[in-house]
Amino acid sequence: MTPGSLRFEGREIPIEVGDTVASALFRAGVRTFSRSLKSRRRRGLYCGTGECPNCMVTVDDVPGVRSCVTPAGPGMRVERGRGWPSAEHDLLHVTDLMHPLMPVGFYMKTFVRPRFAWPVAERVIRRATGSGRLPEDREPTRGTSRHLHVDTIVVGAGASGLSAALEAASAGERVLLCDAFPIGSQVPPGPARDAIRALEARVRAEPAIGILDRHAAVGVYDGPTVALASGDELVQAHPRRIVLATGATEMHEAFPGNDLPGVWLGRAASRMAGLHGVQPGRRVVVVASTDEGLEHLRTLVAAGVNVTTAVVPAAFVDEVPSTAEAIADGELVSARGRGRVRSVIVRERGQERRLGCEALVLSTGLAPRDELARMAPDEPVEVVGDAASAGTVPRVTGGYLCLCEDVSGRDAEQAWAEGFRSAEILKRYTTSTMGPCRGAMCGRALTAFASARSSEADRESASRTTARPPSRPVALETLARSVHEVIEKRTSLHETHLGAGARLGWSGGWKRPFAYGDPREEYAAVRERAGLMDVGTLGTFLIAGRDAPALVDRVFPGRVADLGPGRSRYVLALDEAGYVADDGVLCALEDGSYLLTSTSGGAERMDARLREWTHRLGLHVHLLDRTSELGAILVAGPSARELLEPLADDPLDPASLPYAAHREVAVAGVPCTAIRTGFVGELGFELHHPRSRGPALWSALMDAGEPVDVRPFGLDALEILRLEKGHLYIGQDALPDDTPAKLGLDRAVDMTKDWFVGKAALERLAAIPLGRRLTGLAFDGGPPDGSELRGMPVMVGDDLVGRVTSAASSPALGRSIGLAWVRAIDGQIPAEGLRVGDAVATVAPTPFYDPGGERLRG
Amino acid sequence: MTLRIPCPNCGPRPHTEFMFGGQERPHTANDAGADFARVFLPDNDPGSARERWFHALGCRTWFELTRDASTNRIG
Repeated sequence: MTPGSLRFEGREIPIEVGDTVASALFRAGVRTFSRSLKSRRRRGLYCGTGECPNCMVTVDDVPGVRSCVTPAGPGMRVERGRGWPSAEHDLLHVTDLMHPLMPVGFYMKTFVRPRFAWPVAERVIRRATGSGRLPEDREPTRGTSRHLHVDTIVVGAGASGLSAALEAASAGERVLLCDAFPIGSQVPPGPARDAIRALEARVRAEPAIGILDRHAAVGVYDGPTVALASGDELVQAHPRRIVLATGATEMHEAFPGNDLPGVWLGRAASRMAGLHGVQPGRRVVVVASTDEGLEHLRTLVAAGVNVTTAVVPAAFVDEVPSTAEAIADGELVSARGRGRVRSVIVRERGQERRLGCEALVLSTGLAPRDELARMAPDEPVEVVGDAASAGTVPRVTGGYLCLCEDVSGRDAEQAWAEGFRSAEILKRYTTSTMGPCRGAMCGRALTAFASARSSEADRESASRTTARPPSRPVALETLARSVHEVIEKRTSLHETHLGAGARLGWSGGWKRPFAYGDPREEYAAVRERAGLMDVGTLGTFLIAGRDAPALVDRVFPGRVADLGPGRSRYVLALDEAGYVADDGVLCALEDGSYLLTSTSGGAERMDARLREWTHRLGLHVHLLDRTSELGAILVAGPSARELLEPLADDPLDPASLPYAAHREVAVAGVPCTAIRTGFVGELGFELHHPRSRGPALWSALMDAGEPVDVRPFGLDALEILRLEKGHLYIGQDALPDDTPAKLGLDRAVDMTKDWFVGKAALERLAAIPLGRRLTGLAFDGGPPDGSELRGMPVMVGDDLVGRVTSAASSPALGRSIGLAWVRAIDGQIPAEGLRVGDAVATVAPTPFYDPGGERLRG
Repeated sequence: MTLRIPCPNCGPRPHTEFMFGGQERPHTANDAGADFARVFLPDNDPGSARERWFHALGCRTWFELTRDASTNRIG
């Protein structure tokens, strides 16, 4: 790294080789790194290992960055998050003095009454909390999501993890080794780091071990699956076995003054002095009761730190360097000072002593990081190394139990007094362990607190808390990597539409033209001359094989046995409860097979349904989904035949190709299946053709249609056209529990058939009066654009009786029309007195337009 | 997060590739009474049951498996 400087709240701060953001700031004299969540107390460097929330700053507009484990880089912009006007001089610090007014759970107790005051209070509270501000104009970053399948995953690449990986690999397993940081980077130079380097070399030489450093394991799930998050990817690992070598943090203890800047955990202090050459303070008191603590003491002394006093167990006294006074078996009582540590009170043989100092370094035990193991108790998880150790029980005598959520010992006492008497519900009430440290600091303190107050019998159940993902903070952006990008389906005519100036939008997973210009002109072209529509989005299926007739007879409730070759019929698809799931057009082919078209959005479910019943009924059917290989163009309007005949090699006259018939024809040299349909209510030919020929066919049709002034039309015009015919979109006009009767589609059901999917349900339902019915409505008054009525409630007097599902201004009728479901009142569907907003609604029989269907049969 | 479903064609795959088809109960094509009970009166017992699954984002095959709804264990 090239030393340079970073920019901290307007100041240039020099950085040195190997600096973290925190060490650079600390060297420059920064002592307050953040303000606490509620009481706005000053917080300084504490754990030094990226666990606690104290060192979190905003780096280059990204809030919540742990400065103690983030390498400093030249040009970085660093700011402290909380604080008004600044973290150094935070006026909201008065909240610390008002602590009695803000007891634990205060947000559930205060600001509740009067009710109208809450929105104001909420705004103030929201502004006062949080740890930084998210940039609002930042582009989301791109990243990847991938799945890895291995035999064993080892989480944590310390000495235990590296050994476990080697062991598994030598047993012939494929191993994934992951760590939140580069291997060995968090270990200060010395014998421990040398040992890790030696193991690392062996691991890197082992081809069966894959290494993912800078990937934090954030959760263990069923499967088992382990989620690994890094800055630019989310990995879902699917191992057979999980080895957790997540190590341990130094124990966080709660005593008065424990959160003052200048109170350090041993690792942070020895790293600051040993690695970065910065003294944690001019006079330092060390409290050490572990071997690691002694090591930290030696590191500090070797780095020239003036350790005035070391409080150690009697057995360690001889190990204390002679420059420091050793206090054997002393008990730490409290840390004192305003805004930073000035002195420490230690009890020695019953006597309290006050020791002046600038820093208090604590190394009093280990807290295993076992959250991942507690997430998935039923999964094959093995915990090794320090993470498997029993750990030490922390003392809880006051101060702050939980640094992230600002939960003091007093808060915990109060919650206990209020009846929250186990670690689990204390956690939920106080939100301790739910902050950025995810319980790494406070989890054991909370457990110790609850355990000490529980009876022997309750102790185990009262003190156990569950762990939930994520075990480390993860950006939502990273988690969203696993959300697959939306697939945009396009027809072969996509470019053609864009070239014609079409306005495209989403419809059923496709990008489709809504209009090319004025939808009313497109409408007029279809009603008076001819229009073209790209309907290549329709699902198309070939149903073939010995049992094809049996399958269609059972899946569709209508009569299809009498459907002769060359004929087509509208079909409904029901689910087993008799509810309408989808619709389509079934065409019988010469060889006993069928061509089925389904709705654009329902194609995949139609495919699943047909396969399901083939499977469940044990039929011999070949199903071919041709949706993506076939395009389709609808030619509709009174001049449609006139337009097509010069292009077609085969006769299209009403005798050769009547309504509800289909046949193979070549149009402009393109082989097509032409289906006579009438969704828009005019003479119509649906030309299903090989997808690749779509653009050629479209331009041939546009050219041939020039004499009749043919127009392409989009979904906006279609909405008016189909509504005038009273044709419904299942997805828009039907509710999930609509039966054919409720939709007025009884004609598509033949109850005399032996069996079809949903028949048993319809038989039962036939005995029950209709609770509601889809009804055609004609409106008087209301908005000029009738489509604004869609979604509005239907009222009779003050009673809400229904909802408008589709509406449009009808040029043919000169008024607004719509479809609405209307509820029965006293067994009758009301026909009078209906109102939708300002509009008076009249029940009108559908179709509104050309009720006899002469036009579409032409 | 990931329940792995053993597809008879494709092997074990994440459940996100599959569509759940509900509990499998014996199906008789011509008995309306049994049909009604099958659709509207499900057992919903915790524990093991035969279920139908569809490999929607794979081979598009329907198949049955036995899954314990309280532990997610398959087989």
